[in-house]
Amino acid sequence: MVLAQLGGSISRALQQMSNATVIDEKVLNECLNEITRALLQSDVQFKLVRDMQTNIKKIVNLEDLAAGHNKRKIIQQAVFNELCKMLDAGKPSFTPKKGKPSVVMFVGLQGSGKTTTCTKYAYYHQKKGWKPALVCADTFRAGAFDQLKQNATKAKIPFYGSYMESDPVKIAVDGVERFKKENCDLIIVDTSGRHKQEAALFEEMRQVSEATKPDLVIFVMDSSIGQAAFDQAQAFKQSVAVGAVIVTKMDGHAKGGGALSAVAATKSPVIFIGTGEHMDEFEVFDVKPFVSRLLGMGDWSGFMDK
Amino acid sequence: MFQSIAGKANLEKSDLEPALKALKDRLMTKNVAEEIAEKLCESVAASLEGKKLASFTRISSTVHAAMEEALVRILTPRRSIDILRDVHVAKEQRKPYVVVFVGVNGVGKSTNLAKVKENNLFPFNLFKILYVGVMMAACDTFRSGAVEQLRTHARRLQIPIFEKGYEKDPAVVAKEAIQEASRNGSDVVLVDTAGRMQDNEPLMRALSKLIYLNNPDLVLFVGEALVGNDAVDQLSKFNQKLADLSTSSAPRLIDGILLTKFDTIDDKVGAALSMVYISGAPVMFVGCGQSYTDLKKLNVKSIVKTLLK
Ligand SMILES: Nc1nc2c(ncn2[C@@H]2O[C@H](COP(=O)(O)OP(=O)(O)OP(=O)(O)O)[C@@H](O)[C@H]2O)c(=O)[nH]1
Ligand SMILES: Nc1nc2c(ncn2[C@@H]2O[C@H](COP(=O)(O)OP(=O)(O)OP(=O)(O)O)[C@@H](O)[C@H]2O)c(=O)[nH]1
Ligand SMILES: [Mg+2]
Ligand SMILES: [Mg+2]
Repeated sequence: MVLAQLGGSISRALQQMSNATVIDEKVLNECLNEITRALLQSDVQFKLVRDMQTNIKKIVNLEDLAAGHNKRKIIQQAVFNELCKMLDAGKPSFTPKKGKPSVVMFVGLQGSGKTTTCTKYAYYHQKKGWKPALVCADTFRAGAFDQLKQNATKAKIPFYGSYMESDPVKIAVDGVERFKKENCDLIIVDTSGRHKQEAALFEEMRQVSEATKPDLVIFVMDSSIGQAAFDQAQAFKQSVAVGAVIVTKMDGHAKGGGALSAVAATKSPVIFIGTGEHMDEFEVFDVKPFVSRLLGMGDWSGFMDK
Repeated sequence: MFQSIAGKANLEKSDLEPALKALKDRLMTKNVAEEIAEKLCESVAASLEGKKLASFTRISSTVHAAMEEALVRILTPRRSIDILRDVHVAKEQRKPYVVVFVGVNGVGKSTNLAKVKENNLFPFNLFKILYVGVMMAACDTFRSGAVEQLRTHARRLQIPIFEKGYEKDPAVVAKEAIQEASRNGSDVVLVDTAGRMQDNEPLMRALSKLIYLNNPDLVLFVGEALVGNDAVDQLSKFNQKLADLSTSSAPRLIDGILLTKFDTIDDKVGAALSMVYISGAPVMFVGCGQSYTDLKKLNVKSIVKTLLK
C-alpha cells in the first residue's frame, strides 16, 4: 500500500538520526525536516505538520535532557506519539450490529466515491450475513440513480430511489421506512456530492440527516485530496454528526495524507479504504497495525501498548 | 526576513534561504505540490544568486518579485489553442473536430464535457453562437450509470449522443461515433472516457489505443483543483503512458487542461500551478460549479496574487 511509502521516509529519517554519533540540535532538525517533508508530500495539512514539529521539539528539549538519557529513544517516542495523535480519533466509531436495524448515511465532496463505496460497504456486510439495502438520495447528479441501481443489481442488494421525485429528504425517508419494514439491518443512504462553499447544499444534507436519524454518518474522501481536505472535512463535521471516514482510490499513487487531516478535523477514525473500482476492492482499516507499518515496525512494538 | 544588505556586494545563497523557505511554505499551504514548490524556489535562487541587491530593497521583496515573475511566466500559455479556428479548419476539410476528455476517476470529465456547449462566457459559447453541431460520444463503457449520465445531459441540452451501451471497446465506440458525425454533418464530437488511475497499465493502454485509433484534434486532461501532490504524478504519467503505450511514431500527448471544482478550494489554488508546471500544457478551461454555465477562463494574475498572498 502506498501509505507505507510515507512510513519508509519516516523510518529512514529516524534511522539516519540513529547513525549520527552525537545528537545535537542540527541532527534533530535534519531529522524533523525530513519527516516534515514526507508528511507534506503526502498531503497532510500544513498546519498539522507544523504543530507536530513544534510539539516534538518541545518534548525533546535537548538541553534539558540529562546526559544519561537516551536521546534517540526519546525522539523516536515523541515522533511516534505525535503520529498516533494525528491518526487516532480517540474513540472507536459506532459499529452496526447484525440483526438490529441501523441507518448509515454517506456524505462527501463531489466525485469522492460515495456511490461506489456505498455498494462496497453493503456488499462487504452482505457477505457476512447481513441484510443490507441501498437508498439513493442523490436527486441532483445526472445518472445517479442508474449508477446505484446498476451497482445494487450486480450485488443483488435491494435498492430504493426515484426518477421523478426531486426531494432527497422525501426519498431518504421513504426508503428508510420501506427497508425497516422489510427487516433490513443495514440501511445505507447515498447522498449527492457537496462542498462547504455552497450553504444550500449543506442545509440539504442536514435535513436528510435530521429526517433519517442515521446511526452513523460516514465521510468519504478521495486519497488524492490536497490542502483543502481539513477545512472541507471540518465543515462536514460541523453540519452533520460525522462518525467515521472512508478513504477511496488507495489503488492510485496518492499517499493519502489528506486522510490524516480528515481524521484530525472530524475526530473520527478511518474504518475502511477503497482500493479499486470493483465491488470487492475494499479493505478494513485499523490504526494500530497501520501506524506500526508506517514506522517500519520492529522497534516500535515496545511503544504500541502505551 | 527584514534583513537588508544595502552595501553588501553580491547575493549569496545563504542570504536568500530564509526568504525562500518562507515562500516555499506559503506555496505549499496554497496546495502547490512539494516537489514543484521546491523546484520553483531553486530556480528563483539560481536567478538571483550573484546579483547585486538594489539599494534600500529587502531581500524578501526581491525574492518575492522574482517568484512572481516566474509564476506569471509558467502560467501564461506559450502556445494558444484557438478552438474556433480549428473547428473551422476541420469543417473545411469535411471532418468533425474531435475532443477527448481524459483523467482519473471522479474529477468531473462527464459534467464538464456537457458544459463545453452551453456557456454564457465568451468565448466558450462558441459552439452555440456559431450554430456548430455538437455530438457527444459515450465512451465510458465501464462505470455504472456512465451512459445514462451522459444521455441525461444530451437530453437536457438537446444535442445528439452516440452510445453503444456498456462493455464495448471504447476505442471502437469512439471511431463509430466519429464516422456517424461525418455522416450526419456534426462539426464537433465530444468524447467522454472512463476515469482511470495513472498507474493502471491495462486501462492506460486502452486509452492510448482510443487516442491512437481516432487521432483527436484535442486531448483535454481533466484534473480537479482539490488534488494535492498527486497532480504531478497524474499529469506526468498520463503523458508518459500515452507516449510509451502508443503504437504511433508520433504519439499524441495532453494538449490542454480543464481544471475542475475550482469553487471548492477557497484560496488553495496551487494545483493549477503544479499541473501546468509539470506538463507545460495550458489551463484552457476552469470548471467552477455543477451547472452548465459554470466554466471560466484561468485568470493568471489572480492565481499568482493568491499564491503569493
Ligand atoms: N480506482 C478507484 N476508483 C474509485 C474508487 N472508489 C470510487 N472510484 C471511482 O471514482 C469515481 C467517482 O465515484 P462515485 O462513487 O461516482 O463518486 P460519488 O462521490 O458518488 O460522486 P458524486 O455523487 O458525483 O458526488 C468513479 O469512477 C468510481 O468508479 C477506488 O477505490 N479506486
Ligand atoms: N463543485 C463542483 N463540482 C463539480 C465540478 N465539475 C464536476 N463536479 C461534480 O463532480 C462529480 C463528478 O463528476 P463527473 O463528471 O461524473 O466526473 P467524471 O470524471 O466523469 O467521473 P468518472 O467518469 O466516474 O471518472 C459530480 O458530482 C459533478 O457534479 C465543478 O467544477 N465544481
Ligand atoms: Mg454519487
Ligand atoms: Mg464520467
